[in-house]
Amino acid sequence: MTHVVCASGVELLMDYIEGELPADVSAELAAHVAGCARCAAFVASYQATPRILRDATTVTLPADIEASLQAFLRARLDTH
Amino acid sequence: MAVPAAESSDETLATRAAAGDTSAFEAIVHRYQARVFRLACRLTSDTDAPDVLQETFLQVYRHLPSFRGESQFGTWLYRIATNAALMHRRAAARRPVESLDAFLPRFDADGTHAATPAELQVVARVDELLDRETLAEKARTVIARLPDAYRDAFVLRDLEEMPTAQVAQVLGIEAAAVRQRVHRARLMLRGYLSDLVGVKP
Repeated sequence: MTHVVCASGVELLMDYIEGELPADVSAELAAHVAGCARCAAFVASYQATPRILRDATTVTLPADIEASLQAFLRARLDTH
Repeated sequence: MAVPAAESSDETLATRAAAGDTSAFEAIVHRYQARVFRLACRLTSDTDAPDVLQETFLQVYRHLPSFRGESQFGTWLYRIATNAALMHRRAAARRPVESLDAFLPRFDADGTHAATPAELQVVARVDELLDRETLAEKARTVIARLPDAYRDAFVLRDLEEMPTAQVAQVLGIEAAAVRQRVHRARLMLRGYLSDLVGVKP
């Protein structure tokens, strides 16, 4: 079994979170993170990244663009 | 009496729209337009998103008769929207690729994180440390800087929150490749967010 250090743990992180690692590797990684304050902090920030960017890029559909879409489709659908 | 279009399932609406029921098609548009617009903004830009939105629903309308229900209707529609966005991006001028490798995590010679726990942790609080407008602007910019393959996988998997298997289906790549690309994107973006608040990743 390979010895997990921070660097190798980071490489396995996505597969670990998605449950794609063999059980023994997964257990070893979990044990490393449990005993490593740096990795625990890194995992928290790694998992926060998608959430922060998702919230920051959530847009609503502006009314004028919705109206343009309707006009565009009406014109196309009428001719078919 | 017919079930009101707004309450019908996607599949029912698709069948009715394919048979020429305009109100069923309008209900599909109404149900998905905001999500398609958001996806288009994330995969292209605010400027290009309205065109992608129009193109998507035109393609959906044209291809409805060939929807066979082999995948969920939403997956099928997302695939059309993603393709419309990617086609649009391909047609636009090539943007210069800027490397984000500088934002990857740093390790000491023995493989230990070079940053301290407090430094590594700061990313989780970026949305408290920056104002909303600034963060939104920076987020749009950095996502557009990702290499295309990473951007597409990250947008679908992490921003649109599609299951990995579905992203693989939409992009026509293996699930393992999706995970690898999303992982690289997360590492780069994580480091970028850290840098934004003045902490070396």
